[in-house]
Amino acid sequence: MHKITALGGLLSICLAWAAGPAHAADQVISEWDQMTNTAASKIMNDAGARFEKANPGFKAEQAHILNEAYKTKLKIAFGAGQPPCVFASWGGGPLREYVKSGQVRDLTPYLAKDPAYKDRFVSTGFNAVTIDGKIYGVPAENTTAAVIIYNKDLFARYKLSPPQTWDELLNVVKVLNANHIAAFALANKAKWPGSMYYMYLVDRIGGADTFRDAVTRKNGGSFAAPAFVEAGKRIQELVKAGAFAPGFNGLDYDVGASRRLMYSGKAAMQLMGSWEPSTIQNENPGFVSKLGYFNFPSLPGGKGDPKDVIGTVGDNFMSVSSSCKNPDAAFKLIQALTDDVSAQARLADKRVMPLKNLNVSDPYLKQIQALVLQAPSVQLWYDQELPPKLAEVHKDTVQALFGLSVTPEAAAQQMEAAAKAELH
Amino acid sequence: MHMTLNRPAALPLLRWPRSPAWLVPALFLAPAVLMLAVFLLYPLLSSFQLSLLDWNGLGEQGRFIGLGNWLHLLHDPLFWRALGNNAWLALFSIVIQLPLALALAVLLDKAGERSRWLKIIYFLPLLMSSVALGVLAKNLYDPNFGPINLLLQQLHLDGLAHDWLGDPAYALGAVIAVVCWQNVPFYMVLFLAGLASFPEDLSEAATLDGASEWTIFWRIKLPHLRGTVRTAVLLAIIGSLRYFDLVFVMTGGGPEHASELMATYMYRTVFSGFQLGYGSTIASAMFLVVTLIAALALRLSRRFQTEV
Amino acid sequence: MATPLLLQKIRIGRVAIPVLALFWLGVTLLPFVLMVFTSLKSQEDNFASPMWAPPSHLEWGNYLSVLHGSFLLYLRNSVFVIGVALGLTLLFASMAAYALARLRFKGQGSLFGLIVASMIVPLHVTLVPVYLLTRNAGLYDTMFALIGPYVAMSLPVSIFILTEFMRQIPRELEEAARIDGCGPIAVFTRIFLPLSGPGLSTVAIYNGINLWNEFIFAYVLTSSPNHRTLPLAVWDFQSEFAANIPGMMAVVTLTALPLIVAYAFGQEKIVKGMMAGALKG
Repeated sequence: MHKITALGGLLSICLAWAAGPAHAADQVISEWDQMTNTAASKIMNDAGARFEKANPGFKAEQAHILNEAYKTKLKIAFGAGQPPCVFASWGGGPLREYVKSGQVRDLTPYLAKDPAYKDRFVSTGFNAVTIDGKIYGVPAENTTAAVIIYNKDLFARYKLSPPQTWDELLNVVKVLNANHIAAFALANKAKWPGSMYYMYLVDRIGGADTFRDAVTRKNGGSFAAPAFVEAGKRIQELVKAGAFAPGFNGLDYDVGASRRLMYSGKAAMQLMGSWEPSTIQNENPGFVSKLGYFNFPSLPGGKGDPKDVIGTVGDNFMSVSSSCKNPDAAFKLIQALTDDVSAQARLADKRVMPLKNLNVSDPYLKQIQALVLQAPSVQLWYDQELPPKLAEVHKDTVQALFGLSVTPEAAAQQMEAAAKAELH
Repeated sequence: MHMTLNRPAALPLLRWPRSPAWLVPALFLAPAVLMLAVFLLYPLLSSFQLSLLDWNGLGEQGRFIGLGNWLHLLHDPLFWRALGNNAWLALFSIVIQLPLALALAVLLDKAGERSRWLKIIYFLPLLMSSVALGVLAKNLYDPNFGPINLLLQQLHLDGLAHDWLGDPAYALGAVIAVVCWQNVPFYMVLFLAGLASFPEDLSEAATLDGASEWTIFWRIKLPHLRGTVRTAVLLAIIGSLRYFDLVFVMTGGGPEHASELMATYMYRTVFSGFQLGYGSTIASAMFLVVTLIAALALRLSRRFQTEV
Repeated sequence: MATPLLLQKIRIGRVAIPVLALFWLGVTLLPFVLMVFTSLKSQEDNFASPMWAPPSHLEWGNYLSVLHGSFLLYLRNSVFVIGVALGLTLLFASMAAYALARLRFKGQGSLFGLIVASMIVPLHVTLVPVYLLTRNAGLYDTMFALIGPYVAMSLPVSIFILTEFMRQIPRELEEAARIDGCGPIAVFTRIFLPLSGPGLSTVAIYNGINLWNEFIFAYVLTSSPNHRTLPLAVWDFQSEFAANIPGMMAVVTLTALPLIVAYAFGQEKIVKGMMAGALKG
């Protein structure tokens, strides 16, 4: 009997311990994003604090979660019908799924009510979050293009200059290999980093419309089009030339596997979103001064404009879920997250919000900003643009291309078969 | 609580009720049965029900498509590949873990008290969580910085240094090695318990008859362990068919599904592919496979038992 | 090893066995050594030296930065969730075991068989429905979301072990108590619970270790650090440390530590508990 009494006592103590202080449910605005490093998460937290100060009685409950884990977690929470009030996304396919299920609030009326706020953003900033003419998000983080960052010291040591054509790139690979250095650091476990090569190759070979037509199923577009096959061949050409540091299909980008290769000098380049220098500044500040970048090279006979970029105007978009009990306050939190203070702080952290009147002095950022805003085409990451099921097939086939375990033709056919079933 | 005991009339169960006879057992069983019904039985049945839907898990309800998912499953090469990988895992668990564990158990049993510290250390891997172990193992296997490849290179065995987790040819094997590392102590402990129950006077009698230690082991102790070995094989098979943890942490089933298991495939289908219905089909199929094989193995081992 | 030739070659056995013992000792210990070495290195040190080289100086800062993070929160959550889940498991399992071992009722055998059979259920099958259940109950992202599944996954093996255990308790004791006027609750709490001490500790240790390391249910059913358990600390800290491998290894070491410390104090009991658990499970 004593034991049971003791157990009961223990239980009630435990229960009391678990129950925290309470805010009224609709006064708590939960917010999730994937800004995990110290500087980036501080910007979010500071904005949350400003929101709380301007709206007494409200509390911003913020969580910052690592990329891949974030995607899964958001999906689980949406499935559970308990998404956070405010959440970050990349726009495109996954957001469309949430919108289709009626779980995302249409922000068009909120933006219409506050034209001064809306007009701060460059107009293309809303493209990735506009679905059927309605705006479901606000561009919040960065103006991003995938670029090739490289170690200037290594390039200088071996008298290399940034390649502008495919053949020059192959030559760089050859010279670096001769010196026992891998040309590219690639951490392709999550498959989207490898997809960047594929997206650029498709664009450079077939032009920006190739992918768009394949997705919309218009103008005879197909994922089995020659440009997709050719892109697969080029990837395998690079792999066979030994361009990638060993282990690429098993390395985890989220835990910095590709950056470690660059830090240690084992690899000289990385094709990655232009947020990478910001990440490096947080992780290994001494390395930033060695960094240079260049655009993805052109391909012989390619139809694509070498000024096209793969990337996003906005990078992360903040949206409000329908289940949020206080959407007005949620929108105010988004405004705080995207206000001028946040914009300046992001700038200091090497990220450029897509605002019209943002004075960018950092030469690297200025170039990226110009690159994206002046690009004839800005293609969003395929894995975010495509419906989730198809995105999985895309990532799988590209990883297999890198692993040389599928022919470019077969990969393209596989993708086309899945697209036929999924897109109507 | 102590006080009420002195006033028996307050609670019905302080005395044995005359009737009905089922009341007492029912009340004692109720909490456990309720928990099992809610968190085990209901989810199992519900999983079958969900397997009939085309549902992305968002919104209120999915579309009923009958056996559509099940038909798709039968022709899904990835599912069969995953099942095959589960079978490999089971095979390697049996041929690597069990003999190794048995050898270690015999060694510890023979050495007796002298090997106490050995036993303590051997046991350690079992205490480590799979996530922690997976993260550690990923670093050991790292093809560029990991100690395994570095050591192989320094020994001029570069040919043996592989891209352990990134090459489809090695990924499954590399994970299985870690699974073995973690589970050998479990089976070792199992065999140790079996050996401990061995009647000492039996081997003493045999020794007096002039039998060598090895003869005693092969002729008397091992047959005595038959039941334990059977249990171990059964546990290894079931454990392998439903395995998830280290694969999820180390490779996520990749690269190119080379290390995909039924459980990881189910997880990815539901939580990455937005296909809750089809994911439930994989889960239900996994349940059927495990139950079927466990029943088969039990029956086989029983027959074996009666024959011997 | 099974060849009859070896049967007679006793000497080979004499050599092979210590070699195996030492080899496995190395295989077991080496990962732990590498883990601790790395966790005490600075980042530069880690880049410059192979993993097996001891740290050039001890960088305790790695551990401090982990402890200054939300690590202790995760630890607290683990203690709470596992404490409650184990308490309920012990209570429910011993009650059920008592009924199965000593009371008479219709369908007793088949119920026991069913509970034993449920030990083979692949838990991941229940993941999605449990997740939906949790969402409908409004328990998503609370620690209570974990308690139900944890109790349910521990119950079958616990009931099995305790039923076997209680069957060994002499009937005379129970009958004497009944003659003294004890009702079922009193018989259970005064005779069966106290006499099942060793069985209960086996169950507690066996399930405790399993639950302590449980990962996927915690990952799916909770989302904020305020409600997440220790195995997820490793997962979540990857966000913070990314390429900082020594920092990550410090997290891994710290998560492994509580069980290793517990083990250091009660190895005999833990090994015995796992032994019984393993044998019965």
